[in-house]
Amino acid sequence: MQTWDMDLPELQEPETQTGEKLKSELLTVNMGPQHPATHGVLRVEIKTDSEIVAKAIPHIGYLHRCMEKHCEAIDYRGVIPFVDRLDYLAAMSQELTYSMAVEKMLGTEVPRRAVVIRTIVSELQRIASHLMAFGTYALDLGAFSPFLYAFDEREKILRLFEELSGARLLYNYFWIGGVWNDITDTQIDFVENFLDGFEKELVKYDKLVSQNRIFQERTMHVGTLSLEDAHSFGATGPVLRGSGQAWDLRKVNPYLCYDELDFEVPVGEGQRGSTVGDCYNRYYVRMLEMVESVKLVRQSIKLLEPGPIIGKVSKVIKLPKGEIYMRTECPRGELGVHLVSTGEKTPYRVKIKSPCFTHTSILPHIAPGQMIADFVASIGSIDIVLGEVDR
Amino acid sequence: MLNDIVSHINSHVSNANASLISPVEDGAGDSSILINPESVFETMKCLLTSKYNALQVISGVDYTEYIEVCYMLANFDPENPREAIIKTRLKDRENPSLDSICSLSLAANWQERECYDMLGVSFNNHPDHRRILCPDDWEGFPLRKDYKVQEVYRGMEVNPEAKMNRDDQLFGENVQKGNEEELLKRALARGL
Repeated sequence: MQTWDMDLPELQEPETQTGEKLKSELLTVNMGPQHPATHGVLRVEIKTDSEIVAKAIPHIGYLHRCMEKHCEAIDYRGVIPFVDRLDYLAAMSQELTYSMAVEKMLGTEVPRRAVVIRTIVSELQRIASHLMAFGTYALDLGAFSPFLYAFDEREKILRLFEELSGARLLYNYFWIGGVWNDITDTQIDFVENFLDGFEKELVKYDKLVSQNRIFQERTMHVGTLSLEDAHSFGATGPVLRGSGQAWDLRKVNPYLCYDELDFEVPVGEGQRGSTVGDCYNRYYVRMLEMVESVKLVRQSIKLLEPGPIIGKVSKVIKLPKGEIYMRTECPRGELGVHLVSTGEKTPYRVKIKSPCFTHTSILPHIAPGQMIADFVASIGSIDIVLGEVDR
Repeated sequence: MLNDIVSHINSHVSNANASLISPVEDGAGDSSILINPESVFETMKCLLTSKYNALQVISGVDYTEYIEVCYMLANFDPENPREAIIKTRLKDRENPSLDSICSLSLAANWQERECYDMLGVSFNNHPDHRRILCPDDWEGFPLRKDYKVQEVYRGMEVNPEAKMNRDDQLFGENVQKGNEEELLKRALARGL
């Protein structure tokens, strides 16, 4: 008869399970870079304690295209298509900042009609960009239909831009000294029709999303950023205004023809029972800004007069020696261009101050103590575009 | 306006040696304030607690003789909006270093990391001194004027010949040299 001799260890009595002997450690979860809720290739390394975020470390650079280095090798006009590709959801606003910086260095006078067209186009771009932010934010929080409503309206703006510039997303429409193509009366009629319909849509969005109980529960009192911290981070745009500061470059330091137009600066005041500076306020400021943009477009259409659309700029642009830091109010915050010229045909240095880069650095600050699902809401509420973060 | 700031810095920070830089003759653009690199921390402490409330961006320019680091400050207050460019020049190209201002401004953390990544300026007492846009083991600092791309990165060839777009590169070289005839010839050849 065969015996089994395998040196089995002696069985031990199981230890009494007490809380003291249980091991506990933080779990590392990688969010991204292909996570749909991160709006691009953002990777966030999250240390979680069950469902609570203990620490969030954003890793950026997956979309780094060396744009600033490229700009040093091409002429001043050639930089415009590059700045388009920074924030690809608001390309017109980026072109505006860059071309204004070059024009100010050159001392070029931009014709009146071009200035008004620029105002109309950049406000329409703001609406398009905020619609994208609104749609994807609702999508992040589990509501699918607002996304479709938003894209329906955004499509109309993109169609107009396609008629104007020939491209749907990356326009190359603002040239140094003016704009490339004139706007026709038919297109103006199209814009007016669009605005009439869009105002009704905004009321619908308000009922559908802003007053929605589930949406409010998900966003109110979540990811609060105090005004002091917002200043310290250098936050601008809807993030700063959502924290309660009425700072808008269009009002404080007017460019284009904003000084002739009448509009309000929406501020987060804790509307509908929220805390100032939370996700709901940042979201709500964007919704109110769309109402203001509609007003601005309507008023600037009245300022349109016939005339030339591009000023006199020499064929080969050579900037005088010097440097400039130009900033404008883009949909996502203040975009700054630090342009250094040594009198050559190419820029010596182009540095882009990107609002999204600044706002991404806020994430590790507001994340600790949040649920993971709330962290997704926080990322959505600051509305980042990774093309601009990584450049 | 900037003259007030210059005298404010000089009266509060002893070794700042602040001076105003105006655009040169036949030049254009913004004026800025030049300070001593050793006094960056003290000057920023003085400005961020009194005249300005935000650091917007840290920009850097490589002028080959020296590296210039520019701090763009702003006062986000509609009552008295201000902005200023404060710069400092680092003569040492091998190991340029400055004092970190992370304890004064939360924005400085990432901005200083980017400045280190792109220009190789290291910041003393920085809590998280890493590269930010390039990979951690990347060699060289891309925005220096004498930068050369490394040939191999982790066994992969950087810029392989078969994938390079020669047209774009020649275009850039011709623009820099001002070779307009060549540019026109190439444009015509492509049917533009």
